[in-house]
Amino acid sequence: MAAKKTSVPHHVMVIDTNRCVGCWTCAVACKQVNNEPLGYWWNRVLTTAPNQSTSAKPPASDNIDVPFGTYPDLELAYLPVACQHCNDAPCVKVCPVQATFRRDDGTVLIDFNRCIGCRYCMAACPYGVRIFNWGDSTYAPGGVVGYGKEYWTGDRLVFTPERPKGVVEKCTFCVERIDVGELPFCVEACPLGARIFGDLNDPDSQVSELVNNGGGEQLHPELGTDPNVYYLPVARRVPGES
Amino acid sequence: MSKFSRRSFLGGSAAVAGGLLVADHLRFLEPSSGDLVSSEEFLTGKEVVYRTGHSNNCDGACGHLVHVTDGRVTMIGPASWGTTTVAGEQAPTFHPRICLRGLSQISNTYSPDRIKYPYKRVGERGSGKWQRISWDEATTLIADNFKRIQAKYGKTSVWIAPYTGSLALIEGVVGAGFRFASVIGASAGDSEGDNEGDSATPAGWNYVLVDPTNPSNAGGFFTGHESVDFMNAKTIVFWANNVAETSIPDWRVMCDARDQNGTRLVAVDPRFTVTCAQSDDWVPIRPGADTALIDGIINQVFQNGTYDTDYIRANTVGPYLIDPKTEKWLRAADVIPGAKDDYVVFDESDHKVKAANDPSLKSAAVLGTHSVAGLKARTALQALADMAAKYTPEYTSKLTDVPASQVVALGKVWGTSKPLAVRVGFGLSHWYHGDLHMQAMLTLQAITGNIGVHGGGVTTFAGGIAATFAPFDLFDFWAPKGTSIYTLLEPMDFCDAVEKGKPFPVKAAWFPIDNFAQQMSDRNRVIAAMKQLEFIVVSDYSLTATADLADVVLPACTYFEKTDLLSSNNFYLQYMPKIIDPLFESKSDLDAINMIAEKMGYGEYFTQTPEEYLKQMMKIGQSDADPSVRGLTWERLTTEAVRLNTDPMPYVPFFNQQYPSKSGKIEFYVEMLVPYDQALCDHKEPIEASPTNPLYKKYPLVFLSTHTKFRTHSQFVNLPWLKEVNNGGDGFLEINPRDAAPRSISDGDVVRIFNDRGQMKVRARLTESMKPGVVNCYQGGWDTIRVKHYIEGHPNNLTHQIAKPAQSLIPNFPSNAAYYDVLVQVEKSGA
Repeated sequence: MAAKKTSVPHHVMVIDTNRCVGCWTCAVACKQVNNEPLGYWWNRVLTTAPNQSTSAKPPASDNIDVPFGTYPDLELAYLPVACQHCNDAPCVKVCPVQATFRRDDGTVLIDFNRCIGCRYCMAACPYGVRIFNWGDSTYAPGGVVGYGKEYWTGDRLVFTPERPKGVVEKCTFCVERIDVGELPFCVEACPLGARIFGDLNDPDSQVSELVNNGGGEQLHPELGTDPNVYYLPVARRVPGES
Repeated sequence: MSKFSRRSFLGGSAAVAGGLLVADHLRFLEPSSGDLVSSEEFLTGKEVVYRTGHSNNCDGACGHLVHVTDGRVTMIGPASWGTTTVAGEQAPTFHPRICLRGLSQISNTYSPDRIKYPYKRVGERGSGKWQRISWDEATTLIADNFKRIQAKYGKTSVWIAPYTGSLALIEGVVGAGFRFASVIGASAGDSEGDNEGDSATPAGWNYVLVDPTNPSNAGGFFTGHESVDFMNAKTIVFWANNVAETSIPDWRVMCDARDQNGTRLVAVDPRFTVTCAQSDDWVPIRPGADTALIDGIINQVFQNGTYDTDYIRANTVGPYLIDPKTEKWLRAADVIPGAKDDYVVFDESDHKVKAANDPSLKSAAVLGTHSVAGLKARTALQALADMAAKYTPEYTSKLTDVPASQVVALGKVWGTSKPLAVRVGFGLSHWYHGDLHMQAMLTLQAITGNIGVHGGGVTTFAGGIAATFAPFDLFDFWAPKGTSIYTLLEPMDFCDAVEKGKPFPVKAAWFPIDNFAQQMSDRNRVIAAMKQLEFIVVSDYSLTATADLADVVLPACTYFEKTDLLSSNNFYLQYMPKIIDPLFESKSDLDAINMIAEKMGYGEYFTQTPEEYLKQMMKIGQSDADPSVRGLTWERLTTEAVRLNTDPMPYVPFFNQQYPSKSGKIEFYVEMLVPYDQALCDHKEPIEASPTNPLYKKYPLVFLSTHTKFRTHSQFVNLPWLKEVNNGGDGFLEINPRDAAPRSISDGDVVRIFNDRGQMKVRARLTESMKPGVVNCYQGGWDTIRVKHYIEGHPNNLTHQIAKPAQSLIPNFPSNAAYYDVLVQVEKSGA
């Protein structure tokens, strides 16, 4: 029997790698909506072999978009990676001041008022998605002014358009948007419809269907972090077969 | 308020954190400080959200939701589309669309690269020495020089270049520049808007489907299927079309077709693009051998008997008999006594040769050789089958490098998987024989019954071009009453006009958002010709390589800063309101034209507002408005993105199987091409990039200069967000390790790429995505005095302007720049 929808949602993002073309629109959207300084990317798009296969011959160059294999036997896929919003998040556990915390909806956030910049969380995160503000930030020249206002969840400051020096920052699932029923901006902006966001507690939601029946997989499930980001596999048909 | 103090966005120096940071403090012409607002002030105002269309020369024509506070654009997001047509019918589902380029537009508008004030040249041309002047002085200078030059050398000696950087209606490829040219009697570029790499496939399209000599076809046109019609295809073939990178939102439709309908995706490309990676099948082809592969598939279709006899008989010239002596159509009046003139067919029901209009005709034979008036005459389809017979899988494989088994597999797909849609990129057009490639593609689609049907066709761009310009009375806009239409001078004819005065001398030019000096092929020749001009005006929003050569530079607006309309390709009318005031001293080109026309004595033709022009062009509120927009009110136009009325929906050209060709049918046998030995789509080797070319020994690599997701031609190139992802903005040469090794080239080495026309230098990027023997350098990076995205030069230092004479048969697409039909050598560079 399917679980009844509960009042607290369980936020989950599903990324369809069969649709991802590595265009970085999600990353640029994230950069815009969260006013990320130059050099900072909360959301990056890795070039990989399909389904992170390790059997393919490695690429001839470390650069993005370079395929695996030898012409014409080639493979190429992409893996957009931002905070995985783990249910059992190593970053939460190691934070000595409880600056990083997990909300009941599954969203892992950083309280900028509490963060002391020790960077234990960065060492603990197996996904490498946290960024440290070493110094004063620079932004796109010409002064593109950041969108968004500071956002508090309870008494915690979890977003501010300009992060102060010495704090760690990362993807918030666009908490200020999802709390008012909007989608994270990367989901709204993805031109492929490759990102789906919703409530895993709602058995009728698209994310429930995809996670439960669509083959959604977490990154590094063996680590036991239990992320709230799921990836759908690359599925091409066998060449030549109809 | 946060307890943290916020620093100004403008002050301070870059603090390097991580390896990605790109310091970019370029400020062109004037420092921009003082013009910008800090976030502290900024975030206090009330937010207003506008809907507009993104018009920067991208056929996706995305809708943008633009957030504005206190007169500043703060954010761009994707906008939704109207759900009904002008007539109120339910429109097909069309998802909001945006990509990394559209999102970056905010930093484009506020870029320090913006030209902020009018300038005049004070040093040598191209020295980069400028003096700021007023708009009054600038427009007086332009008016005086245009008048002087027209008086001395003739009116057409002033050339208004095509508006390639924008697809908007008033300021764009079909826009006010042409009105200005008509009014002052000047010459002007191609209203198709391109610097000419995009003309070969449209020419081929017109050979087969359109009679260019019929005035109602206005010299030829070009259109395609609406993007969402690909949902109806059983198989989609992307031929030389990297949709997933260059038209990213359109790729979603292909994914939807695959995931919802089980549509098979096939990509044909010499490069392993992301489109190839995402498709079910990839066909790695030798560059420029496209027609040979199509001929191999056509032969397979004949061998398998999977051509569509009923369709061929009803809708193509397939059954018509050809005179074996002249290779022209047999005419009934010449060979059948007493017959009313028409094509000649063989009736397989009574084995008699008849005029095609003979009422006793029951069933015209599509194949065979038939005796008539002492001649042995083949049907056009028979002639095609005979021509294609030599393209066995093995021979095709030899010509194309595609495995014979794959040729056979493609032959099976084409005959059995219907409907089959082809989307071709302009990669197919960047060849001397690009016209032939399109002719061949249409031939294959015709004999398999895939033209004029849902889920079929051969489509370039995101959909219809002619269809989406149908609502507008452009000719009245271009040539207002009392004037005559401008004299056409194609961009490919520019150099001859300047160098030799042919067909007439050109002594002055205005380049409105047209980066001619960089994006035109054979640019060394183009720059030399430009330097011979007496007077050059450039209006643009950034200081391009073309602006570097100008005598007067005018600061243009970006799409936020003026009123216009976008109706390109995707069947929705997108009103573009003026969202913010023009930055700095920028003005819309229409305002600039108004000022100059006034000073030249033509002010009476330039008194109207953009809104008035739009109302007139669309005949808003008039009963004789085009059926696609009849009944549309101004209020509705300006409050939602309304879909045009089309029949059918989604739009399919020639859905009624009526063709505007001479015969009214699909003419895969092209009589007018008999003198060019091209009546049928028999493969011809590339003019330069062929192993049969003796030059191949000296320059053994085919040089492509393709598009990347990080820019649209030379727009968006210097934006920091995109540069951070895209190799810091630096161009690079993609080369296969098997070509790099014998040249001792390692990943990241500086290489010199050269041929007899020029050279360029960039770093090498080793990648197996390149077919051995083929190299690629993404075009569009800047080579200006101040910004160099390549170490030296630009890909167009290596390209040429060899045009194919046959194309002159199509007045609107008479010449094409074969950007990819190029050979080079690559060597490791000392520097």
